[in-house]
Amino acid sequence: MPRLSSATDLERLRQEILAERDPNKPCVTICSGTGCHAYGSEKVAEAFAKEIQRNGLREKVDIRRTGCHGFCERGTLVVVFPEETCYLRVRPEDVPEIVSRTLIQKETVDRLLYVDGEGKKVVHEGEIPFYKHQRRIVFGNNRLIDPKSIEDYIALGGYTALAKALLEMTPEQVLDEVKKANLRGRGGGGFPAGIKWETTRNAPGEAKYVIVNADEGDPGAYMDRSLLEGNPHSVLEGLIIGAYAIGSHQGFVYVRQEYPLAVENLNIALEQVREYGLLGTNILGSGFDFDIEVHRGAGAFVSGESSALMTAIEGRAGEPRPKYVRTAISGVWERPSNLNNVETWANVPLIINRGAEWFTSIGTARSKGTKIFSLVGKVNNTGLVEVPMGTTLRDIVYDIGGGIPGGKRFKAVQTGGPSGGCIPESLLDLPVDFDELTKVGSMMGSGGMIVMDEDTCMVDVARYFVNFLAGESCGKCVPCREGLRQMLNILNNICTGKGKEGDMELLEEISEMMTDASLCALGTTAANPVLSTIKYFKDEYEAHIKEKRCPAGVCKELITYYILPDRCQGCLICARNCPTGAITGGKGLVHVIDQEKCTKCGTCLEVCPARFNAVVKLSGEPVPPSVASGTKVVRRK
Amino acid sequence: MRRERGKSKYVGMRLSEEESQTLSQLQQGSSLSKSEILARGLEILSEYYSLGLDRPPLSIELRNLETEAMHHAEALRQIKKKGEAIRQMVQELQSVDRIVDKYRGNKSALIQILLDIQAQNRWLPKPALMWVAERLGVTWSQIYHIASFYKAFSLIPQGRHIVQVCLGTACQVRGAPRLLDKVTDVLQIKPGETDQKQRFTLTTVNCLGCCALGPVVVVDGVYYSQPTAKEFEQIIEACE
Repeated sequence: MPRLSSATDLERLRQEILAERDPNKPCVTICSGTGCHAYGSEKVAEAFAKEIQRNGLREKVDIRRTGCHGFCERGTLVVVFPEETCYLRVRPEDVPEIVSRTLIQKETVDRLLYVDGEGKKVVHEGEIPFYKHQRRIVFGNNRLIDPKSIEDYIALGGYTALAKALLEMTPEQVLDEVKKANLRGRGGGGFPAGIKWETTRNAPGEAKYVIVNADEGDPGAYMDRSLLEGNPHSVLEGLIIGAYAIGSHQGFVYVRQEYPLAVENLNIALEQVREYGLLGTNILGSGFDFDIEVHRGAGAFVSGESSALMTAIEGRAGEPRPKYVRTAISGVWERPSNLNNVETWANVPLIINRGAEWFTSIGTARSKGTKIFSLVGKVNNTGLVEVPMGTTLRDIVYDIGGGIPGGKRFKAVQTGGPSGGCIPESLLDLPVDFDELTKVGSMMGSGGMIVMDEDTCMVDVARYFVNFLAGESCGKCVPCREGLRQMLNILNNICTGKGKEGDMELLEEISEMMTDASLCALGTTAANPVLSTIKYFKDEYEAHIKEKRCPAGVCKELITYYILPDRCQGCLICARNCPTGAITGGKGLVHVIDQEKCTKCGTCLEVCPARFNAVVKLSGEPVPPSVASGTKVVRRK
Repeated sequence: MRRERGKSKYVGMRLSEEESQTLSQLQQGSSLSKSEILARGLEILSEYYSLGLDRPPLSIELRNLETEAMHHAEALRQIKKKGEAIRQMVQELQSVDRIVDKYRGNKSALIQILLDIQAQNRWLPKPALMWVAERLGVTWSQIYHIASFYKAFSLIPQGRHIVQVCLGTACQVRGAPRLLDKVTDVLQIKPGETDQKQRFTLTTVNCLGCCALGPVVVVDGVYYSQPTAKEFEQIIEACE
């Protein structure tokens, strides 16, 4: 592979690659992100290879394993080019039919197509409602490239932004462009990247560092992983441009070790850019030197915090440090260090290529561009969505997400991970915007968006987050370490029926203390889940404390399972499946649950046939006295 | 204990057949009376409680130590000669050397080095850690700080098969706690524990990033979505 030493070299290479590719040649792309991989995408890909070989089509059809397409609920996704026919939930058994009918006979396999709300089949990926309402400027290329192939990226115009920045712009001009675009950090802080870059650039000292924060720790958020797995070059290109603007010659990518595929694809990408001379000394003949090192995390949520991450890069335990010394001035080894999130870096090549003005035309007044969210939880279309800032939560949950499964009622959407809060139905028309979300007691965070329905207990959600944070707290500062422990204690008590008057006020008091006095953002934002649930779902807290009742039927100590005697049909299914043998009653006789033996596992409710619907969850009321044993059932039609 | 004839207080205990026999056996080897033995037993029991040996954290620690001791005993039993033991240790240390050399003996690569050792051995054996301390010039406390801070590291031998249950928010909302109950039932160990035969280690993780499959359990890197208790049993049976 020849080293590229100028912009013309790059352009010539791009033309060569394009010349070898026939845009009309059939190509089967198989989504191979971790999500689809778990669905068995590798087996699907192998099945395609075998079937295509068997039909003698190897020279006529390409196979490409791409990064995550985002529609994770319907994995494995297969898109056949050039028609862009999109097949969902493909299994290895479906492959022979796809090959014979779509590749050879040019017909669609209807049962694998998307069916919209009116029963109409949608053939093209872009027309599926899930995608139609999105604007995938950052994430969209995932579907077109094989992350292990730099040629795919270059064919789409990759690294032209780098060439433009290094060879046609000065570092100050690059910095100006990013500042004008008002690119705000996508990792949660929302701090203007351009200003951080400027502070780092102007800080005293020759050696400066640029860092990619790929330690995506928020549970339920996996946007960065899919971006790094599916399009690592977009992130690398952004990083190199940033390094040029700041004047840094050494970069780090800190990836969590729970993302092995991302680490693998990143390392392959780095090898390739080094070979082509897009990284290393005298990049593209510009005279600019820069290299990148990969660091793996080792499983600590707090190490994703900016200053903690830098401490971990130094090889020490990743604990945060006080913020009055900004890391942009004194970071890794006390040298100026600029840290940004994966998605933030991936936006940079776009800004350079298409200009700050284009970027600011998308979004709201103070939040520009798009944001990738991971829409998960109780929602029909689980997946990764990219929308312009300003899109309402309602549009995301209903138009893109397809609403709540099982016809259940929406209750809340949680944004911002453990640092964010829950937003109730009354605020669904809120636009996604850094400041709007913070105003209602939540925050944008890294982009996790968890939908909850009527079966989710909000006190349990608060308890879950506090439990998570208590385990992840580094323990350095008293407000966070002790505050979380006490809050967890109180919430555990509330969920097990031992809540008392004054508990909510105490939680609010502790939250206030933690927000004011904690060392890092883990502590200062830990109060958000608790305070937002108390604010919007006070009735649930009061039910737990005063009535010892869990309205959603979740908290085990506050619910009892009960078989309705007039609905039970005596079929013995629940009795057979009960793991503790707590159900008595013979065939045709009313079944009774022995509450002493019941472990509240919920199996009886699960297995009772839907047409009988005889098992209910009671909460806050005493269990009715059991019928006499040997009572016959009332036969229903 | 002096025997006071006629002055000892009779407390009055009803013993079962088995308990009487045990007491007689204990008395056989000693010069104490039955009541003295019982009193001594009570003393030991109160010492046990006052030391907090009945409390879960301490007993988990003891169990961990026991597991580690069993592992070493097993390993020692398999080594016949001293020369073989030394050769095996040298091999282990050489593999550590290779890892340290890969990172050019760089102190800031300590976490990466430990990750590689963990991946190779399924835990961080003490000799390996001491060798890393030697090679890198870091203190033992620094290594221990890192090894105990991060979840990826285990200071006790882990099972041959790793079972992970995702407790991320999305999986939580989709019923992960119930899946965890099923898994702990089948494996008979709690999260963070390894079973006696070192077949399985059960851990919980905070997000695997495949939320559409939630709730998820991973066995040896293979993802299973929403398994029933029966399906999980079958998966486990296939693991040796």
